[in-house]
Amino acid sequence: MSTPVTQRRVIAAEWTKATSVASTLGAVVATCALAVGLAVGLGMFTRPGDGTTATSLVVTGAVLAQLGALALGVLVGTADYTTRAAATTFTAVPRRLPVLTAQVVVVAGLASAAAAVALGTSVLATGVLRERAGLGSGLFEQPGGARALVGYVLYLTAVALLGLGAGVLLRHAAGALVTGVVLLLVADQVLAANPGRIADTVRALLPGAGMRLVHDDATVTALDAASAGPHLGAGGSGLVLAVWVVGLLALAGWRLRHDDVR
Amino acid sequence: MSAHAPARTVPRPDSVGRRGPTFGRVVASEWTKIGSLRSTYWIAGVTIALSWAMAYLSANASSGDPGFQPEASLTDGLALSQLAMCVLGVLVGTGELSTGAFRATFVAVPRRVPVLAARALVTAGVGAVIAALALVATVLGILPAAASRGMGVDLTAENTPQALVGSFLLLVGMALLGLGAGALLRHTALATTTVLALVFVVPVALSLASDLATEPLDLPVETEVATLDPVSTALAFLPGDAAYRMTTTAGGDGPDGAPDLGPWGGDAVFAAWILVPLVAAGVRLRTRDVT
Repeated sequence: MSTPVTQRRVIAAEWTKATSVASTLGAVVATCALAVGLAVGLGMFTRPGDGTTATSLVVTGAVLAQLGALALGVLVGTADYTTRAAATTFTAVPRRLPVLTAQVVVVAGLASAAAAVALGTSVLATGVLRERAGLGSGLFEQPGGARALVGYVLYLTAVALLGLGAGVLLRHAAGALVTGVVLLLVADQVLAANPGRIADTVRALLPGAGMRLVHDDATVTALDAASAGPHLGAGGSGLVLAVWVVGLLALAGWRLRHDDVR
Repeated sequence: MSAHAPARTVPRPDSVGRRGPTFGRVVASEWTKIGSLRSTYWIAGVTIALSWAMAYLSANASSGDPGFQPEASLTDGLALSQLAMCVLGVLVGTGELSTGAFRATFVAVPRRVPVLAARALVTAGVGAVIAALALVATVLGILPAAASRGMGVDLTAENTPQALVGSFLLLVGMALLGLGAGALLRHTALATTTVLALVFVVPVALSLASDLATEPLDLPVETEVATLDPVSTALAFLPGDAAYRMTTTAGGDGPDGAPDLGPWGGDAVFAAWILVPLVAAGVRLRTRDVT
């Protein structure tokens, strides 16, 4: 064959696939829109003295934007199976894992770009609102403020990769989305209703705990103090999320190599 | 030339009386389709198991309280069960899209809207069966905790009948909400995301975000009691909250800061959330290509 299959070419192919489908770009736009919309919406109702800081207002969008990032990962991961293009793709790349690697690269790139744009737009859009509420422009004043901003981008990228792993593993868009939402949000809320040592330990070890990456140090300390489980802090929770992402992707890769692809 | 005897008409059986896709036949075919979706059985099993588990855990967790009322734990499992019902509705609404079977369906039934109506009927029927079984499981779930405190469970006392009926209507309504979203949006991932976002993520996100935006140890500024809190107001008009109000006392007030919709307000909001997408999906079917 005159054009061997190299990882770079597979990445280029996955990039073309991902960006030529309207729904993927729609997910990127939706992530940014949700993030900015929530930050501006809450910013309009902050009053001086109700405890909001500049950093915390700017990053509140992450709570809603994680759904867009999850959808982005699921769409890229399940596109091959819902459109029956999987047969073509894996005939062209019989080793299969390079396709998963390329999807990881594409999703990480798109998600971090979307998160960075969302963060920048949130900062700009809430500028006037923050001044009016007297929060000042000091985004790095609070301890952990800089980490919260970096954590915003990292968290949304990790959630998108979580969606990708679930999508490739389950090969069913609705199932992967429900799995992602349950792991990130639902399980946490349900366990929070019945607090106790076991429930709080499970909560600390769910991927949703990675949300602490986005909070500043004071909030992280308060959240940890309220929990009867292990106090992992922001870095530890980020590590828990990373382990979940790597684990799901590893399972997806195992299924890809082991099972039929139809 | 022999005289032809008048043609004897063999008495036709009734089922051959009307030709073509009558509504009854469309309902029968949709019933077959929903029964052949593997997800239907998975979702039924998961809903019933979750309802039992949540009721059991919730009743056990509060069984140590002095004022323990086992019936109060009946509605605690709804948060998860309603998600499963929404997903059932979305899968019924978008089930034929990935295989392209919808083309055959709309050739067989060119008027199109009867298919949507039949799907709604079948979804409501299956939803009603699953909801009834889930409610039975919920009641079974609170029995052990009640027995451990030596208390009986009286399902006809106080608010319990309304909570049970409200839960039933909530679960069936959520399935129809999912169907409306799936039929209108005609894209599985988009419909699932939208329904999950509306019912679960947005309420949780709004509450989390307004917590996240405030420093945990600062006291909130004192506001007048009569002002409407924007987050609570938004939540009151979302389907999840509106549906949950069906399970609470008709005369009770809503959460602080939300507008008072009256005893039937929650029902009306929820019904609107179900009917408007279904009607819009019907309009879309009649006025647009199905490709």
